[in-house]
Amino acid sequence: MNMLGKIFGVDSEEFNQWQLHWWPEDPVLIFTVLGIVIPLALWFFWASLSRVTRWTRKLLLFALRLSAFTILLLIILRPELEFRKTQSLKNFIAVLLDNSKSLSIKTITDKKELSRIDLINNALKSNTSFFESLGKDFNVDYYFFSDEIERVGKEAVINTYRPHRPYTNLTQVFDDLAGHYEGRSLQGVFLFSDGADLTQESGEISRNLEERVKGLRSPIHTLQAGSNVGFKDLAIEAVSASDFGFVQQPMQISLTVFSSSLGNRDIPLVLKEGDRILISKIIEVRADTKRFEVELEFTPNKSGKRIYTLSLPKFVGEFIHTNNKKEFEINVVRDRIRILHLNGRPSWDSRYLREVLAHNPKIDLLSFFILRNLGDDVEAPISELSLIPFPSNLLFDDYLSSFDLIIFQNFKYDPFIDKKYLDNIQKYVHNGGSFLMIGGDLSFQGGGYSRTAIEEILPVSFQDNPSPFVDEAFHPILNENFFRHPIMRLEKDYKLNQDAWQSLPPLQGINKGLLPDKNAHVLAWFSKGEVFPLLVTGNFGKGRTALLATDSTWNWNFRNVGGGSSGRFFQRFWNNIVDWLIAEPETRRLQLESDKDRYRKGQQVLLKVSLVQKNYQPSVGTAVKLILKTINNQGDNKTVYDLKTDKHGEGTFMFLPDEEGFYSAHTQTNLGDETLEEEIMFSVLKDNAEFEKPLVNETLLKKISEISGGRHHILNGSDDLSVLQFSNPSIEVSSHSRSFSLWNNWWAYGLVMGFLVMDWYLRRKSGLS
Amino acid sequence: MQKLIPTLGLILVLVIWGQISSPAVAGYSSLTLPQILYQGGNDNPRPDALRSLLAQISRRTSIEVNREPITLKLTDPELFRHPFIYMGGDEEFDPFPEKDLAILRNYLSYGGFLFIDDSSVRAGSAFDASVRKMIAELFPQNPLQKISRNHSIFRSFYLLNTVSGRSIIRPYLEGISIKGRTVLMLSSNDQSGAWSRNKLGHWNYDVIAGGYRQRQLAIRLGINIIMYALTLDYKKDMVHLPIILERLRRYNPK
Repeated sequence: MNMLGKIFGVDSEEFNQWQLHWWPEDPVLIFTVLGIVIPLALWFFWASLSRVTRWTRKLLLFALRLSAFTILLLIILRPELEFRKTQSLKNFIAVLLDNSKSLSIKTITDKKELSRIDLINNALKSNTSFFESLGKDFNVDYYFFSDEIERVGKEAVINTYRPHRPYTNLTQVFDDLAGHYEGRSLQGVFLFSDGADLTQESGEISRNLEERVKGLRSPIHTLQAGSNVGFKDLAIEAVSASDFGFVQQPMQISLTVFSSSLGNRDIPLVLKEGDRILISKIIEVRADTKRFEVELEFTPNKSGKRIYTLSLPKFVGEFIHTNNKKEFEINVVRDRIRILHLNGRPSWDSRYLREVLAHNPKIDLLSFFILRNLGDDVEAPISELSLIPFPSNLLFDDYLSSFDLIIFQNFKYDPFIDKKYLDNIQKYVHNGGSFLMIGGDLSFQGGGYSRTAIEEILPVSFQDNPSPFVDEAFHPILNENFFRHPIMRLEKDYKLNQDAWQSLPPLQGINKGLLPDKNAHVLAWFSKGEVFPLLVTGNFGKGRTALLATDSTWNWNFRNVGGGSSGRFFQRFWNNIVDWLIAEPETRRLQLESDKDRYRKGQQVLLKVSLVQKNYQPSVGTAVKLILKTINNQGDNKTVYDLKTDKHGEGTFMFLPDEEGFYSAHTQTNLGDETLEEEIMFSVLKDNAEFEKPLVNETLLKKISEISGGRHHILNGSDDLSVLQFSNPSIEVSSHSRSFSLWNNWWAYGLVMGFLVMDWYLRRKSGLS
Repeated sequence: MQKLIPTLGLILVLVIWGQISSPAVAGYSSLTLPQILYQGGNDNPRPDALRSLLAQISRRTSIEVNREPITLKLTDPELFRHPFIYMGGDEEFDPFPEKDLAILRNYLSYGGFLFIDDSSVRAGSAFDASVRKMIAELFPQNPLQKISRNHSIFRSFYLLNTVSGRSIIRPYLEGISIKGRTVLMLSSNDQSGAWSRNKLGHWNYDVIAGGYRQRQLAIRLGINIIMYALTLDYKKDMVHLPIILERLRRYNPK
């Protein structure tokens, strides 16, 4: 090396190795080519000198040609001399420490109760010297892992190691690890874990995980933290429920109940919404079975985002109590609006309204028309008529509550409905149903509703009037004070809405003798000499009612078409009435919304309240009470805040939830003599999924070590990890180098030329061409 | 709701139609039948027909009617106060002006109903040719089609399985439907001739090749047509179907 260094003028201290490189890197190729070319060249050189008679000249010429050929071969093979400095590197060992929540679960070792993480900590402490010696031969990297890996310093391991991460996903962990050591020599892995990976089925290893383990090409020694011996627990494992459901439509949920070391017991499973029990079921837990599949069916009765809680009783000695309860959220929506539409007789007004309702995809319409009266002579037997008996008992007793809205359109109840069913309608509305009466000569007093339950629920009282219905044309007089009412909104823009109302043709026919109640909202009047309410809304109990004292709004449809316009406003008007009556969320006067449905812990929650008065004008400067409570602690953890609405009738409230879980926000305000309330629910991420399958997965850990060529060891508190060894092949890397070309210089080409010129000169002197 | 439908089939007791309803107020909301006036031909071959039909409707159904029919031109501003119009004839008539066709097209497309009756009692009559020409101009993309026996028109009040009239020229009705609603109906069987009755209560025209039953079926069909225009296809609602289908099965066992 020293001699060579001197020849090429390099410092022998700077480089400790040299190497000759050829252009074709494959030596087989080089020797093959040389093996063919050299004999051919020698034969050619010698044979071409056959006419040279003198031996000395013949040998000289042969030597010249051989020299030129040799140098030419060197030029073609491009030899380079490389001087380099090389050094050895250490291989890597990864120590993976599971920090998911399941590591906090207790385990029994030598009749002592320890947490799983304590077992790992003990093993690390008792093997400190082993890891230190390992660090001399290897680069030992430490990682915390759950569903991702987090590099930690060796010193920080003991101080910062705690079980807090929500999931374990070993497939992702090995994927990340392979990425970390790409191009580096990872010679082995220590995996400290309980194997409680939610993504793996019990007793199996997924194909994905198997591929990741094999792809790592390093032995994985699995150090099992804890065992299932004496593990006592009752858990709700997996709950399967649709993300959304429909009001008044039964929905199914299925779940798995896990039981360990609880013997034979009958255990009640309870499904609650808030503090209201929806359903309970007895689970017959048996000692010889670990998992029990349970199906539950319940019927949501309110729309919105609802939070439900499944709970099992807690038993003394259970290792985990948090998994005895599980909350889940379902967005409950209204399926379709079910409307019962009763018509006293076929008429153009009922025909056009039916068309609007039947064509509304949100509406499930059940229509009945009274097609004949007792005095009518149909001149045909019943069998030749399409008339069906009016099912009053079913409609107004059995299935009344399944309707969202009942419409009496110019309908006289007697003799089709027994008077007692009017009381049922009253109860139905009081409990949250809605009712609409549309005018005509068979409505109100003309329908015999005076002093009945219907008069009580409607926001008017009936005066005795000899001509309660008058066929008279008129333009409705709109109540400016209620012009922002959702029913009146034919156009969103205020001015366009005014124009829309003014463009409508007149109505014809008015039910007179109606006197608005003090709490009634008269949206439009008949005013032609006398003044009578035309369109009135009101509340009765929890329900909403309305009346329209005419049977001629079809004018706004077909007659409007004849005037060159369309039936658009007619359709909008009736859809508005339906939406308001069934209290669609946008028609509620007190509204409460959150900026998100789900929050992560540490995120700020923004709640917005908006309030309008009876006439749907913003309610300014009104005090609104906001009550926040967690679903789990209804009575105890309740906070009340006082808000005041601004000039837009709005108020906002921001807060930082101090605990995870499901929250309900309830607003309440007193406007005059009425109390308005609204409630929404939202969640702040609370993830105890790790406890759904808390068992130690020994099979998984064993399979990982088997597949990778490592060993499996169950930590027991006195563990000697020094028996676990890894191969340590030497690795040398070049830190810097310098190369010299042995062919690309003037003397190589000069020698070739010189030998060839001398060959030519001697051949000329010998008389050869 | 879904449970309600099958349960209805179990109802055994027919509700007794109660006492006579209160005296109705005939007025704007009552049914008026306008007859269309047009140029050329004979637009009123059966002068008593509509009055007779209205009397039958009043007698047999709960529909309140204005007993006297009216006449209207298509250009009459009152046209859109009457969603049902009748057009009769027995002779060739002048083509409708484009303006009238546009009004009629608008009328039918947005909620109106036209019943055309050929009173000529002849197959391929001049009136029939004029009507078909007019309809071809009215809805060039939507030709006349035979009306199926499953149409609500055959069950809107009476259960019918035949098409009747004073003379059965075509044993079917033809019509045009827009967005699922039949807006125009053509009868070639002189329906109005079967309906016509004078003020003394005598039938104006004998039914051809039939008797009392054929006339009754023609009147029933007329009532069904009016009932369809007023209630559309509500008889096809699921709640009505089980009972109607059962009666149809008994009425027409095959």
